[in-house]
Amino acid sequence: MTVPSSHLLILAAILFSIGVAGFFLRRNVIVVLMCIELMLNAANLSFLAASRMHSLDTPGGRIDLQGPIFAIFVIVVAAVEAAVGLALVIALYRRKQTVSLDDVVDLKD
Amino acid sequence: MSAWLHLFTLELAVVAIALLVLLWDAFAPAAGRAVGWTTALLLGGVFAASFFVDGRGTVPHGVFVRDEWVVFHERLFLAAGILGVLGSIDWLATRTPKRQAEYYALLLFSLAGMMLLAGARDWILLVTCFELMSMPLYVLCAYGKQDGPASEPKLAAEAGLKLFITGAASSGLTLFGLALVVGMTGTTHVGGIGANPAPLTIVGMLFVLAGFGFKVGAVPFHMWVPDTYQGAPTPFVAFLSVAPKAAGLATLAIVLLGGWSADSSVWLPVLLVLAGASMVVGNLFALPQTDARRLLGFSGVAQIGYALLALGAMSRGGLAMTLFFVATYVFTNLGVFFVLHAAAEEGGGHSLARIAGLSRRSPWLGGALLVFLLSLAGIPFVAGFWAKLFVFMEAWNAGLVGLVVLGVALAVIGLYYYLTVARSTYMADGDRTTPVPTGFALRAAILVCLIFVVGLGLWPRPLVEAADRAAAGIVSGR
Amino acid sequence: MVIESPLLAFLIVAFAVAGSMLVGAKLLRVRAKHSSPLKPTTYECGESPAGPAWVRFHARYYVVALFFVVFDIEAAFLFPWALVVREAGTAGLVAVFSFVAVLMVGWLWAVKKGALRWQ
Repeated sequence: MTVPSSHLLILAAILFSIGVAGFFLRRNVIVVLMCIELMLNAANLSFLAASRMHSLDTPGGRIDLQGPIFAIFVIVVAAVEAAVGLALVIALYRRKQTVSLDDVVDLKD
Repeated sequence: MSAWLHLFTLELAVVAIALLVLLWDAFAPAAGRAVGWTTALLLGGVFAASFFVDGRGTVPHGVFVRDEWVVFHERLFLAAGILGVLGSIDWLATRTPKRQAEYYALLLFSLAGMMLLAGARDWILLVTCFELMSMPLYVLCAYGKQDGPASEPKLAAEAGLKLFITGAASSGLTLFGLALVVGMTGTTHVGGIGANPAPLTIVGMLFVLAGFGFKVGAVPFHMWVPDTYQGAPTPFVAFLSVAPKAAGLATLAIVLLGGWSADSSVWLPVLLVLAGASMVVGNLFALPQTDARRLLGFSGVAQIGYALLALGAMSRGGLAMTLFFVATYVFTNLGVFFVLHAAAEEGGGHSLARIAGLSRRSPWLGGALLVFLLSLAGIPFVAGFWAKLFVFMEAWNAGLVGLVVLGVALAVIGLYYYLTVARSTYMADGDRTTPVPTGFALRAAILVCLIFVVGLGLWPRPLVEAADRAAAGIVSGR
Repeated sequence: MVIESPLLAFLIVAFAVAGSMLVGAKLLRVRAKHSSPLKPTTYECGESPAGPAWVRFHARYYVVALFFVVFDIEAAFLFPWALVVREAGTAGLVAVFSFVAVLMVGWLWAVKKGALRWQ
């Protein structure tokens, strides 16, 4: 009795949808950053799920490593995004004393 | 190992310069213009070396291919990088003398990412290079967060955040799409997209395309462009408005024309809609702008539309003309932003009123701005004219008649707002009459842009031929 | 009754445990008078909480966290390499060391710029 890989893919799709929905609906920059991280982690989960699917399907025990390797690089992207994003939030907070996207409206037509 | 390491000579050199700048700043901080000039000269050395280093070849497993396509892009990015550094030297030395090194180092890292990007044929390398290019740009965008005139709100942090949020979300989109594509096809090679034309692969690829659309600033993913251009430091915007766009278009070409050409019936309509929408929205929204940088932001969206149109021709000639278009755009747009920077520097502010009477104060700057604007508008005989003409010709030959007619009509509208700007520099009276003070480096950067724009207008053939050779690396045949 | 699906069994057990805890707490709780001034405090016995729970952390923790993340990610690359260090050979060694060297230059720059000075 194992969880089928397709369930993992569906879970990843749900996670991604939550991330996208939060990205568009939430106004707090920190929460928006977390939603972006959620999107990236959904990508990671699908990489791993797909890799597991290929590994189980392949006779002879050959393990598909492309997914895990890609996932490590996605983790790097996520970490760098967190670092840069939080630094930008701090810079913005020092200037405007807010982390709400509704108050970040100096640039518009 | 070293059997293929020589393929990366130029990229490694750029990274080495970045590390050198960081170490220099760590152990012997220099506040003057020395760091900037050293960076520019070393980059110039790398550019010169690109004509002597003959590294053509393929890394094992076809992860990275170095051919004429890569060489063309390396030189283009290096030229943009050199000019970007030159244009920033004076500004950095006067405004933030103690924090110069990080600016140059970040710009160089971004440059290394772009240069590698052109040769990447594997999704992992492609995505990593794309992020290596993008991340420093987010930081640089907010670099001048204390900078700007006292009377206006400091906008750089907000501009950086907006660029970052759209950029990060588009990375998420791209990566999730890639997870589907790689999962369905079972290979990370870009050429393997067509291996399994399942619906999920196509959905994944559309996610990937949307992610890249954000990065090049095509409609409907263009919201960040005018905001970022207005808020970020102008010398950096000059670089941001050209090099990453060129890199994004190169990526689109690698992915669409190189990897996924078999299923062009899927993506070609999407691409053409993006191209048409970018031309329409960019040109129409540029009309009412009163801030010069916002105007150029929307004009940049429109120009991306023209470039995508040539990409949509799906031929070697079309791709070559995309490259030619992008190359002329690099020099033209860098020049425009540098002149705006010079005009705004002393008093700050980039409203169109700021450049009123510019040609009377500094005839040279006014003349240069006029030439750049004419090139953006596509007037004979400066570089932009040939770029637009060739793009429209290739699109026409590919049967995209409707879009070409639309593009020509919108180019006429573009003519109006570009010439409105030019008119105010010549006709209107400004509130100042003294010459605009400019540093030597900035003048040099403007002069180089001017030489290229005029030179390519008079004699476009060498660049056209180089672009054609480069395009053969992606699209074979005629 | 035999439950066929393990997922269903899992859900039933999860809801049963959570529900029984809530119901049990409701039944067993000590009924205090609502007028007691201790009632709304965080802990009804023991320490009285000092200060609000939503304190602001100083931004300097951010830099420390950042350093942690950098070396955390570095480890994520070193572990796969460590598993195949013999097969990867000299090429892998050079690649990994240049990777670490780039990180070290960045770290050195940050330290020289005072990123770790706790002032």
